[in-house]
Amino acid sequence: MMDFGFKISPSSTINLDKVDLEKFTRLHEIEPDVYKCMACGSCSSTCPAGRFSGMSLRKVILDLQRGKEKEAVAMMKNCMLCGKCTMVCPRGINTRHLILSIYRIYAEDEK
Amino acid sequence: MRERFLTGYNDFVLPFVCGMLFVLAYCLIGMIRIIMQLPGEDRKRFFISLVTPKTLVKNIKDIFLKCLIHVDLWKRNKLLGYMHSSIAFGWFMLILVGHIEVFLYTSNLGAKALYYPIFFRYFVAETESTMKGSLIFFLMDFFLLVVLSGIALAIIKRVRSRLFGMRRTTNPSFTDLIGLYSLWSIFPLRLLAESFTADISGGSFLTKSLNYVFTEFLSNHANMLPAWWAYSCALGIFFFVLPFSRYMHIPTEILLIPLRNAGIRIVNARKGLAKAQVYSCPSCGLCIDACPMGVLKGNIRDTTVYLNRQIRRNNESRIEEISDKCLLCGKCTAVCPVGVEGDKLRIAQRSIRRYNFGPDYSNIDVQNEVRRCNKFVNGNNNSVSRPDSHKLLYFAGCMTALTPAIMQATESILKKSGTEYEVMDRDGGICCGRPMFMAGRLEEAREMVRKNTEIILGSGADTLLLSCPICYRIFREEYSLPGIRVIHHTEFMNELISEGKLKVRKGSTRYVFHDPCELGRGCGVYEQPRSVLSAAGELVEAAKNRRESICCGGSLGSLTLGFDKRKAMTENAVANLMSESPDEIVTACPLCQATFGRYSEIPVEDIATVIDRNSK
Amino acid sequence: MKENIVIIGGGIAGMEAASQLLDLGYKPIIIEKSDHLGGHVAEWNCLFPDMTPAGDVVKNLVTRSAGANIFLNTEISFVNKLKDSYNIMLSNGISIITKIILVTTGFSLFDASKKEEYGYGIYDQVITNKDLEHWFNTGDDKRVGDCGMNAVGFVHCVGSRDEKARNSQCSKVCCITAVKQAIEIKQKFPEAMVYCFYMDLRMFGKKYEDFYISAQRDYGIRFIRGRVSEVSENIDGKVIVKAEDTLSGKPVKVTLDLLVLMAGMVCCKDSTKVANMISLPVDSDGFLKSRDNVTGIIEAPKEGIFYAGACTGPKTVPETLAEARAAALNVHLYINRMK
Repeated sequence: MMDFGFKISPSSTINLDKVDLEKFTRLHEIEPDVYKCMACGSCSSTCPAGRFSGMSLRKVILDLQRGKEKEAVAMMKNCMLCGKCTMVCPRGINTRHLILSIYRIYAEDEK
Repeated sequence: MRERFLTGYNDFVLPFVCGMLFVLAYCLIGMIRIIMQLPGEDRKRFFISLVTPKTLVKNIKDIFLKCLIHVDLWKRNKLLGYMHSSIAFGWFMLILVGHIEVFLYTSNLGAKALYYPIFFRYFVAETESTMKGSLIFFLMDFFLLVVLSGIALAIIKRVRSRLFGMRRTTNPSFTDLIGLYSLWSIFPLRLLAESFTADISGGSFLTKSLNYVFTEFLSNHANMLPAWWAYSCALGIFFFVLPFSRYMHIPTEILLIPLRNAGIRIVNARKGLAKAQVYSCPSCGLCIDACPMGVLKGNIRDTTVYLNRQIRRNNESRIEEISDKCLLCGKCTAVCPVGVEGDKLRIAQRSIRRYNFGPDYSNIDVQNEVRRCNKFVNGNNNSVSRPDSHKLLYFAGCMTALTPAIMQATESILKKSGTEYEVMDRDGGICCGRPMFMAGRLEEAREMVRKNTEIILGSGADTLLLSCPICYRIFREEYSLPGIRVIHHTEFMNELISEGKLKVRKGSTRYVFHDPCELGRGCGVYEQPRSVLSAAGELVEAAKNRRESICCGGSLGSLTLGFDKRKAMTENAVANLMSESPDEIVTACPLCQATFGRYSEIPVEDIATVIDRNSK
Repeated sequence: MKENIVIIGGGIAGMEAASQLLDLGYKPIIIEKSDHLGGHVAEWNCLFPDMTPAGDVVKNLVTRSAGANIFLNTEISFVNKLKDSYNIMLSNGISIITKIILVTTGFSLFDASKKEEYGYGIYDQVITNKDLEHWFNTGDDKRVGDCGMNAVGFVHCVGSRDEKARNSQCSKVCCITAVKQAIEIKQKFPEAMVYCFYMDLRMFGKKYEDFYISAQRDYGIRFIRGRVSEVSENIDGKVIVKAEDTLSGKPVKVTLDLLVLMAGMVCCKDSTKVANMISLPVDSDGFLKSRDNVTGIIEAPKEGIFYAGACTGPKTVPETLAEARAAALNVHLYINRMK
């Protein structure tokens, strides 16, 4: 390959026009409260799995809406389903149901 | 007695004989299938239990007391108990005495043995010698009367269930209704049939007297046969419908009792023991009133009785809905007269759910945790260890991190009592696995169990103290920690107080104790917290307590119930606790405490906080 | 003019309305349950955004409303609805017949101990916004150390925007109060690091944004976007706060000498009690329900009943005063119409 003095790397812009939200729509049907998240971060800071792995449910919800499913799925693998996030969520989101629904709808070999 | 007919046969016996043969064949095949479905080890254990004298005696005793006498129902409500035992025991005695009668008076039975004990009176005529059997005649009439009184009560119960201590009853299915009406008609028809023939075959106070009445206006013996036909048809219909209605519980329970006594646990969601439990459900609906979700009318169809019905129908979408909604408080299991384990059945249903991917904890470095908690391993211990002291490891649990008062109080009590301890999860730890287990993801839960086991065994401790009953339950049921005693803080405080290591001042505050589901029904700890609380103040009881305590509504058991849907349940549970107008609600579970704290007008505290405040 | 006007609550709303009604020639009656006028503002030190001393505001209002009939230490025992008026029985035995009631019962501060994970009442270093104002006023609080204040944290939205605390509404004033108190702390302890843990900063009022900029630029207050989930204690008796810095996406942990919880506004029990006595509706947020939330916020759905201030929802001091004046005018017009 010829050296042009710069490299073509994939754009880091999230193109919302191209994000496929089919799965997220399904997730929203099963757990409508997923839209209630205001990204306060309570779930992430209380998460015992976060201590071992950097798991953050807030990030997962955001990533799924931005089409970054691979990152989200990788993070979800650390959840212990302990329910602390459900306890602290100020919006009363049933996070455990949300997490189990993500396990059902999304899969590991996502793009 | 002499036989009236040479053949000893009439066509009217056919509906009954066919029905009975059908039911017997069905039950036999069903029983073999259930036993074959058990895991090999369980099956072996089951067969051994059948020939072990101790379990054998227990099986017979349980079958007699539960299936025939219905002792559990008697304890709940006398009228309800009488209704059930009069039908079950009365019918059983009719069959038993009927057989004795037949074997006493006839010889060369042959195929007649199939129906003679049921229709004996049609086929025989009274002779002089029969008088010796007047006792049998009396018994037959007596037990028929007993059954009839039960049937009368059953009819009343359908209209006025409150008289029987039941607020709500099950909505019967179509086959249930057919079974119900045929069952109701069997015994009046039997009375009718036997009364018509009483002047020929003999009878006692009931049938004989009715016979006099009948002969007044229906003197023709030709009316006899239709009554016997109707009686046989009612029996036939009942038997044909039995396998497809709730009455399947009658034969299944006889299998369920020895299975349970053999100590078998639910492994497969639909087969083996689970199947036996589902078919043992008599649809009595006691679980409907028991269910804490019942405060919202929409949840009534999500109780265990409906779960069993849907499992029998293989209605997958409803099975999923019902199993996922449940709080797993276990109260339906506690009140169930036949021993259907509603909570475990649901966990089993959840365990067959398919997920595209799941958690994997292989990246958690246990060694790091072990190093942090190994205070009691030789060489790491700087403090002087007294021989009489515990080497105690305190696992506060995830939920306790959100109720720091419990952790603070527990540590304070440990210090006051001079116990040497180490906190396993001061900065958060690995979850105990129970919440994952309750979600039905058993393998993932066991992975956490293994990780925690490694940390605990590596700590060198001899006692593991827990303040969360959710953790406590899985530690008792799924962990194997040789040489380490697992103890809940209510039990620990009780020991400290009785050993005099903790001095508690008695105040005048009136406490009501809420039994957390996982601690009470889950682990059977009822007395220790009460004894501890009594040391600090006056203990009053809730309207429903101990085994029947009402779930706070905050349970992690439910997967689908959202926060807003739980309010009514919590308010109902608080109202239950307020029946003796206490000054304070005390519980022993961080989750219960947080949940009640939101809706209670009076203070809600953990038992450790109360004891810490009142001790020195 | 002999028309009785009963004002329930002697906070700033009640006093402002009373003084306006006095100017209009009426003789209103103020019923106050505590032993002093001024309500919550009387317990505050300075008011945003101009650092106006709260004491001066209250003192001024007390002087201006002195002509009213004021019953201190008095509660309403019960209210009887007559044909077109109300008979109000007071706890001191006096009964008043009136056609006009102005409800200025205000709010309650959310009980921060209900959010147990924040450790109020459990750890010595955790106080509320009200405790801090008390300390500003009196300097008397053992929990606030005089020296060695290395780090102080403020937690926004304690008991507001929180369905778990049964208050889903925004308390509106805590963001700016936290900024104000953070600045005041920084002025008292210039060496201390001051952190504000917020979910959203709602700087809606006049000069609020300037105040916020000043807090950032002039005082170096660190704003961390993330809600605190847990507070624990370390061996030195300091509190450790756990949150997620949602902007960097990383969990943060910080050791603090003092943690101030910005307890939000909730409807006070007395408002609900009064509402029950006069059969007034309560809104879904727990506060009293107005006839209309746009054009009729100070009018109850019932004839002759008026509202002013925080009994209908969280309000700032200027908003409360404006509502009180408007309510006084509404009362005046209502009396004229009755004639």
